[in-house]
Amino acid sequence: MVEQQGLLGSGWSRVARNKRYIVWFYILNLALAWFGAGAFNTQAHSILDHSLQSKSLVHGFDVPVLIEMFSRPEFGPTGASHGPVLHFALLFFVLTVLFLPGVLQGYASTYRLPREDFFRACGRNLWRFVRLLFVAGIVMGVVAGVLFAIEGFLVKKAGESTNELLSFEVGVVCLVVIFLKMTTLRIWFDLAQADVVLSDRKAVRKSIGIGFRHMWRSLGRLLGSYVITTMVAAVILVLGIWIWMKLIPAASVGGAIFIAQLILLLLLIPRFWQRGIAVSYYLEHMVEPIAIQPFVPGPVVAPVESAPAPVSTPVIPGTPPDTQGE
Amino acid sequence: MKVRSINIGSIIVLTPVISVIGLSPLVKEHAAQAGAAQTAPAAVSTHIAASAPATDSGGLTIPDTSLAINSTQPLSQRVVHYEIDAKYDAAKHTVDANEVLTYHNLTGQALDHFPFHLYQNAFQPNSTWVREAKVSGTRDVGYENWESKLYGSEEIKSLEVVGQGDLTSQLQYIQPDDGNRDDKTVVDLRLSKPIAPGAYVQFKIAFHDQMPETQARSGWKRDFMLGGQWFPKVGVWWHGAWNCHQYHATTEFFADFGVYDVKLTVPQNEVVGASGVKVAEVENSDKTKTLTYHGDDIHDFAWTASPRFKVKEDGVYQGQMGPVQMRILMQPAHWSQVDRHEKILKGSLEQFESRYGPYPYKTITLVDPEPDSAAGGMEYPTFITGDTNWFMPEGLYLPELVVEHEFGHQYWYGMVATNEFEDAWMDEGINSYTEVKVLDAILGKKTSILNMAGATAGEREVQRMSYVGVASLDAIAQKAYEYYSFNSYAGVTYGKTASVLLTLEGIVGEDTMDKAMHAYFMKYRFTHPTKEDFLKTIEDVAGRDLHWYFNQAIYGTQILDYKVTKIETFPVNWYEEKKGRSHKDDKNTVYRSYVWVQRKEDFVMPVDVEIKFDNGEKVREHWDGASHWTKFVYEKKAKAESAEIDPDHTIQIDRNNFDNSYTTEAHTKPVWKLGNYFVFASQWLGQALAWWGV
Repeated sequence: MVEQQGLLGSGWSRVARNKRYIVWFYILNLALAWFGAGAFNTQAHSILDHSLQSKSLVHGFDVPVLIEMFSRPEFGPTGASHGPVLHFALLFFVLTVLFLPGVLQGYASTYRLPREDFFRACGRNLWRFVRLLFVAGIVMGVVAGVLFAIEGFLVKKAGESTNELLSFEVGVVCLVVIFLKMTTLRIWFDLAQADVVLSDRKAVRKSIGIGFRHMWRSLGRLLGSYVITTMVAAVILVLGIWIWMKLIPAASVGGAIFIAQLILLLLLIPRFWQRGIAVSYYLEHMVEPIAIQPFVPGPVVAPVESAPAPVSTPVIPGTPPDTQGE
Repeated sequence: MKVRSINIGSIIVLTPVISVIGLSPLVKEHAAQAGAAQTAPAAVSTHIAASAPATDSGGLTIPDTSLAINSTQPLSQRVVHYEIDAKYDAAKHTVDANEVLTYHNLTGQALDHFPFHLYQNAFQPNSTWVREAKVSGTRDVGYENWESKLYGSEEIKSLEVVGQGDLTSQLQYIQPDDGNRDDKTVVDLRLSKPIAPGAYVQFKIAFHDQMPETQARSGWKRDFMLGGQWFPKVGVWWHGAWNCHQYHATTEFFADFGVYDVKLTVPQNEVVGASGVKVAEVENSDKTKTLTYHGDDIHDFAWTASPRFKVKEDGVYQGQMGPVQMRILMQPAHWSQVDRHEKILKGSLEQFESRYGPYPYKTITLVDPEPDSAAGGMEYPTFITGDTNWFMPEGLYLPELVVEHEFGHQYWYGMVATNEFEDAWMDEGINSYTEVKVLDAILGKKTSILNMAGATAGEREVQRMSYVGVASLDAIAQKAYEYYSFNSYAGVTYGKTASVLLTLEGIVGEDTMDKAMHAYFMKYRFTHPTKEDFLKTIEDVAGRDLHWYFNQAIYGTQILDYKVTKIETFPVNWYEEKKGRSHKDDKNTVYRSYVWVQRKEDFVMPVDVEIKFDNGEKVREHWDGASHWTKFVYEKKAKAESAEIDPDHTIQIDRNNFDNSYTTEAHTKPVWKLGNYFVFASQWLGQALAWWGV
């Protein structure tokens, strides 16, 4: 537990020292989301701006009015407004892949990482991260597929029971198991990412192996830390939405935007905290010792008192040796 | 009903007879409370005389019992008496029963054949029901694959007509609607001797049901059983012919009023609920028990059984005609919601009695069916099923919606027994209309479905939305099985009817409409009224011709869509405006404002238009809507700032509410608010992907 606290604390200190990364990622995500919502805004403006009907959306949230807006032909297909939301979310994911190596490099540094070093780390590790992502996608996809298939089967079987709650309870238990399993996999690949970047290892395969061994070796500590940080995220989300629903007046658009953005900003922290934990763990346990040639002193020879060594004639480049006088 | 009345022998008394069938006891006992004292004693006596058995009854008669009603005398013209002794095999999901049906021929003519519904035969792969459900959809089972558990059947083992012997061999399946030879939901029996007018005939039927896994609110799920449409049921002689339609995916039922005495033998661990009142319960030596139920003045009988029901039956509603026992059978996991169910049931009873008329039965049984079954949300006489889930937040009123709706059917179907095959809108649609009224009164106009976390939804808007999506496909007044699709049937029958009647309130006035609905119920309860009866009642009460509206809204597929096209405002002396001088702050400037209003579709209806000026002044205009567009012009020391069609929001059938108003200034706050949700969703999605993906 003490070690785990140390890991959490160490990871947190790295996040705290590098708050700018969270801010930049938040701004990046906000900018992308703004573009993503652009199509919706354009479509909604055309219907709502000049209609008194839209008042019921301001002073409350009249669901049928919203449904009617989506169903209007002039609003266009919902795919046209919803699609960009997904596309820009995917773009944020891709950019996270691109910039994450720099973040890990920064977390490992004891000084503020210069911008050029940040981007150098990003560029240097891009292809490695793509390969890591590919492997992680296969592993996590297969495991998630199998687990969700099992969950579906068990829930279906439980649904045949006359105990109505059983299927829900089985579903919850299964989801907890799936969450823990997927978090374990996340830890594995987080360690592999740290190893790739901080060891500057070209062989991604080797980093994956090292990550797996360490994940397995310290599973309790690492999983505990990751679960705690995930719980923090859950609390942020639930509390934030509660505040949004209960304390922000329905007509306060500014208040709604503020609390929504605050929730999202705070939600970024736990994941960066996990990455800080991975870096800390790497530095404490995964750094390979540098092979240094041991210093072997030579035999001590006593000085011999003799005639001074002849001083050689300096050779002046371009000057032929003087041999004629001898 | 009209034809049967002719058989009574007096066309002269036809109308008063219809109007007071069964009303006399109500009037005698409860007129003061019910406010229903508009009956003529002479008519009552005529009705009672007409109901008396014919001399050639052979000792047969329909009982004039009143055990299950808060009345000392029958309330309906009783045509049938079903005595059924049924045994339920919970393991095999089968019912074996003997049915004795006594039928009183009030048709005015000799009857030489009798059609019977065999509803359970609908659940077979080649039946009309399944064919229609597969191609057009239904509300529960999709029929992508046929499974043996979906199979249902209703087999008549033997049929004897008293005095004519065993006529089993005379049974013949008929398909009066679509000629589908594989459909066995109607069987016709040709008698060897016709039944004389006024005479009685008795059928003794032995039948076997294989109940399917729940479909169309009938059948089993796990250890739960809902026995709906489970016995051979005779058709209705209506408008000079037998009315006995095949069972269709979108149709429900139609039957004559009468008396039911039903014995149900079930395993001893079963908790049972049923139509009518329980009059006996006997435990048998073979680990079964036999429960006996009696129902008066009802036209169907349903039952349910499950070993796990938790029962609340101490609730009593003091109705206008007497106490009504509310028996609620809940799933164990839903027990925490029993008070919610009782509250809405009681609230519905109160609302319906105060608005439309008394509930005369002694019981109402509310069944919370098995989860994930297709048994939720169904009405049978004095017996309804709700629909809920173990997780049901307080502000989400779906259980209330279902319970209220199904209870409403006790009036629109149960007592005002319209033909659900041909005029589904008269039960589902009128019931949806009264559902809006009742839920508005109990839960609030804008919050009757949802009032949670700032989000709201009202039932009237939900009904309108269900119609808008299918607005141009079908008329209200058409047979239930002739709709374009299930969605069209649902949207038009429920949503359009409710919206059309709510709009009618705006035309005739809410009070007038309330009076019309009350009059309709009081006049036509325990009868089979037609759509003309309903529409004429409204016209009579309103005292005006409403054909222009009914022709478009009920009989036609016209679409109503009005729009404020644009507003233009400029100074009258615009040509005097000079550079650097503006009329903006000049309070003496006279502006000319133009407001264009358009009727975009073919539904013509007079509308009010309210124009608001920037000095706060409001002007109301009335437009008959006859032309495709009109223009209003004003010269005022103020600019027109907005215009709104139907400012009182009484029109519920306008296809697009957004273009009913126009403001000269754009108000972007709604889009900012909605856009915030979109931005939030997009960011959250991106972060979630990044959390797990990298």
